[in-house]
Amino acid sequence: MTLRLSIPWRDARAPMLLRRHGGGGSEAVPAATAGSSRRSGKTRRREEAGLKRANFGDGPGLPTLLLLPQLLILLFFFFIPSLRALMQSVLLSDPFGNNVQFVWFDNFKALLASSDYRQSIAVTFWFTVAQNVLTLGSALVLAFATDRIVRGRSAYRTIILLPYAIAPAIAGILWAFLFNPAVGPLAQLLHHFGIAWDPNLNPTDALILVTLAASWKHICYDYIFLVVGLLAVPVSLMEAAAVDGAGPIRRFVSIALPMLGPTIFFLTVMNFIYGFFETFAIIDAVTKGGPAGATNILVYKVFVDGFVNLDLGSSAAQSVLLMSFALLCTLLQFRYFDRKVNYGV
Amino acid sequence: MGRKVAFIAALFGALALAGPAQARVEVQWWHAMSGVLGDRLNELVEKFNTSQDKYRVVAVAKGNYDEVTNGVIAAYRAKRPPEMVQIAERGYMTMLLSGALVPVQDLVEQKGYKIDFSDFIKPVASFWSYKGRMSAMPFNSSTPIFWYNKDHFQKAGFDKPADTWQELEKQLYAIKSKGISECGTVLPGDFYWSLLENYSAINNQPYGTLANGFDGLGTEFVYNKTKVVSQVARLKKWLDDGVMQIAGQGFSPEQLFTSGRCSTFVNSTASHGNIERNATISWSATFLPHESDINPPLNSTIGGGAIWVMKGHTPERYEAVAAFLDFVAQPETQVWWHGATGYVPATNRAYALARERGYYKDHPTREIAVLQLSRGTPNENSRGFRFGNFVQTMLAQRQEVEAVFAGQKQPQQAMDDAVKRGNEILRQFEKLNAGKTPETERP
Amino acid sequence: MVERSPVLNMVCHAILIAGALMVCVPLYFAFVAGSLTVAEVQKVPLPWLPGGQFFDNLQLAWSKGNFSRTFANSIIVALGITAGKIAVSLLSAFAITYFRFRYRMLAFWLIFMSLMLPIEVRIVPTFEAVANAALPLQWLLETLHIADLWGWISGHEVAIALEWNMVNTYPGLILPLIASATATFLFRQFFLTIPEELCEAARLDGASPLHFFWSILLPLSVPNMVALAIILFLFGWNQYLWPLLFTTDKDMATAVIALKGLIPRSDSEPAWNIAMSGALLTMLPPVLVVLLLQRWFIKGLVDSSK
Repeated sequence: MTLRLSIPWRDARAPMLLRRHGGGGSEAVPAATAGSSRRSGKTRRREEAGLKRANFGDGPGLPTLLLLPQLLILLFFFFIPSLRALMQSVLLSDPFGNNVQFVWFDNFKALLASSDYRQSIAVTFWFTVAQNVLTLGSALVLAFATDRIVRGRSAYRTIILLPYAIAPAIAGILWAFLFNPAVGPLAQLLHHFGIAWDPNLNPTDALILVTLAASWKHICYDYIFLVVGLLAVPVSLMEAAAVDGAGPIRRFVSIALPMLGPTIFFLTVMNFIYGFFETFAIIDAVTKGGPAGATNILVYKVFVDGFVNLDLGSSAAQSVLLMSFALLCTLLQFRYFDRKVNYGV
Repeated sequence: MGRKVAFIAALFGALALAGPAQARVEVQWWHAMSGVLGDRLNELVEKFNTSQDKYRVVAVAKGNYDEVTNGVIAAYRAKRPPEMVQIAERGYMTMLLSGALVPVQDLVEQKGYKIDFSDFIKPVASFWSYKGRMSAMPFNSSTPIFWYNKDHFQKAGFDKPADTWQELEKQLYAIKSKGISECGTVLPGDFYWSLLENYSAINNQPYGTLANGFDGLGTEFVYNKTKVVSQVARLKKWLDDGVMQIAGQGFSPEQLFTSGRCSTFVNSTASHGNIERNATISWSATFLPHESDINPPLNSTIGGGAIWVMKGHTPERYEAVAAFLDFVAQPETQVWWHGATGYVPATNRAYALARERGYYKDHPTREIAVLQLSRGTPNENSRGFRFGNFVQTMLAQRQEVEAVFAGQKQPQQAMDDAVKRGNEILRQFEKLNAGKTPETERP
Repeated sequence: MVERSPVLNMVCHAILIAGALMVCVPLYFAFVAGSLTVAEVQKVPLPWLPGGQFFDNLQLAWSKGNFSRTFANSIIVALGITAGKIAVSLLSAFAITYFRFRYRMLAFWLIFMSLMLPIEVRIVPTFEAVANAALPLQWLLETLHIADLWGWISGHEVAIALEWNMVNTYPGLILPLIASATATFLFRQFFLTIPEELCEAARLDGASPLHFFWSILLPLSVPNMVALAIILFLFGWNQYLWPLLFTTDKDMATAVIALKGLIPRSDSEPAWNIAMSGALLTMLPPVLVVLLLQRWFIKGLVDSSK
């Protein structure tokens, strides 16, 4: 959830920024302003990226003071914990910390050799991919439909946005209840049609169930960005295509979709991040990682190994791997967007 | 070396000097009992607090066993541990070798209390002691027993469940085929404990080498070469034939039994309170079944928790702790706790007292656990389990058994894999604790 | 609308109705289950129409979940996260966009690194660190042998135990969740779009940096702050793992954690009706926020300039 806030903004504000700046270029391209300041920088002396041309100069005192709260909070709750994870990941230690051995990279080696961890990676991969396809696909269809109609648009939008407000834990509980093979009404429906639905026993059913629950919670997010993105597609372009005889679906595919490209890329990354890190509560409420490890995604495994198995070294090593992965995602996305922006302006 | 001044400075300026001794010495006890059991525990503590005026025990519910363990670890690392903590049986080795504890028997003897540690019933005593000395005070000890729906069995023409798995299987299939209930039994949430570990003890099957770990950290799991494999196959068969059901998330196995949906249920004797309260059926209980070629069956083993004493407190606080532990070990306390909760009395004297008072005439099913725990002489297969990282090996094993249930693996393959994974975890524990002996120093 | 196409419009309405149904079905069944008695809710199959116990169940859920207390906690935590994050983010964004100082890029990268690392990833070390946040200082003291030194000087044997135990406290619930850079970047991006002339004019008028921040930047940022506040409030309200680990005292639990306690477990009766009533109660505040402030919510995202 935290993550979602970063780039979406840049992206969503695209129309506004461009308009304000006289709006040249392709509107669907997210306009970050780092680019525009860089551009103007060529004409200026000692221009720094991300610094206002009109600034308050060189005194280090005030900015330090301004940065202090943020940096202190990051120090205590981000950097120290991360450092601890890094340290812990090369140690073998009892949970009480009285007996600690330095084991180099044994924890990492053990992880990579463990079938359990490999299964967890595979499960995470399939879970996030399925969730991504389902979420983005549904959101695209819904956004397309929303873009076409006039009457009732805001009512539909309101309802479809609702799951954004619902805690993942609650979403998980709702879905676990609906599909509980003993009492759940939807499970009864499936049984009625002769489908032997049992997520407690059948790993595939369990994976389907958590994927459905996770997607249900997240479609609204992709949806709102796509709706916004579609609004930014110039009407003139669509009209021109219509004159050329392209039907609505054709126009959507050949004009709107390419223009939504950056948004879709951004949403894909965000969906992966969501699936990777933010579905913990859903897994915990629906399956607890079972059966037979079928829904034991990486973040859930970090938690179980750390807090149930008390295998701190392994849990820390997993944290380090996940953090590296997340950092990589951040950098990739940042680079990609910066580049995009440079092309755009 | 001069007066010892201890002061604790809270970061935000509050500076507290260790104040003058309070009227009562107060000690904390973190525990994992919730619901009815939690209420009973509070009553027990209240009994102690009103029985004398020197000490006060403060019972703090810290969630389930996992949460208590995490809480106490965090508190210990932050150098603020409670005096006492209730830890589940599976955490024994981790606690024993943690270096964070004071052995209970040493403590109470040093403080001059005369608890007869030889009077504890054998599976309890042997589980919680190291080299004949008690490391933790047995508190809530249970063992799985076999619960059944009397009406279902009568309708099917049986007096009661059979003693052997083989006969029992016929009964359950008969109950199903006669349409008396759609579900012969329900898989317990902790089936690894009742249907694999206790199964091994009762049927005299080794679970690990070196006397199930009692003789050293080098122990290895061997249950892939015992009847456990066929037991897993049996459960899988029952599941496939619809004789056994899995309750799953949000719907507890116990509910399936107490609502009359499933005819039998293997579960801890500690669920007496809940079943008495929630059951809408006429129920009874009996001993766990055994294999037909194993006769006589051995004792079952315990589960539940014990009270551990944490290091790092003042002598007067340990006085309070010792007084409380002595109170817990009293036969009167034990009998009361036994009756209030369904946990077994931990000492022979308490058991005799309960019998003497005719308690089991009114509550015959409450005696099953004691009889089952204390039958015969425990041997190295039935004395209990001493595996390091036992939670972790158990979760790996459960995952493999679930793979069997899901039809992904054959029982033999799954148990081989579980043993392999379990042994890797055991080796890690051995490596960490090589050459370590548990705490023997005096507080 | 480029052209009229009634058939396609029908199809679109059908799609949207299906989407709306998908959203509503789980909520509807939560409502149905929440309106039944314990006996009815265990019936197979579950009734498709609501029963008459809805308000009784709500009341029972309210008291069983200790919601009068846990709702207050959730509001405090959610507002604390919202206010805290916006405040520190505004300040640091202001610092890195409007000042030139030597370690500006260093600060930028330090903040940047935390951008995509949710707390779930580093949950174990964070728990340890926050259980006693003073531990690093304690280590420092121990390494420097300050206690021994003091003991040597004063003749008393001294034990220094620094403690800043944040388990079961509001700061413990709030601060770790503020520790990420997302909002900072958002404001940074926004500040970069603000016309340079504003700052130049302010400087010509001799306004101090803080005055410029307070009287020009802050008012300009209001729409962003409101929109961000809504999202952060939802984020804070819906937290699960951190409060789950970090509150052992029932009186410090948040509403979502209290709801977890209402979910039937093995040793309680299967009161799914109460659990579902509790779920409805717990989701009510964030749903209201989205419904009532939807204009802001979307406005902030979409068309603040339209």
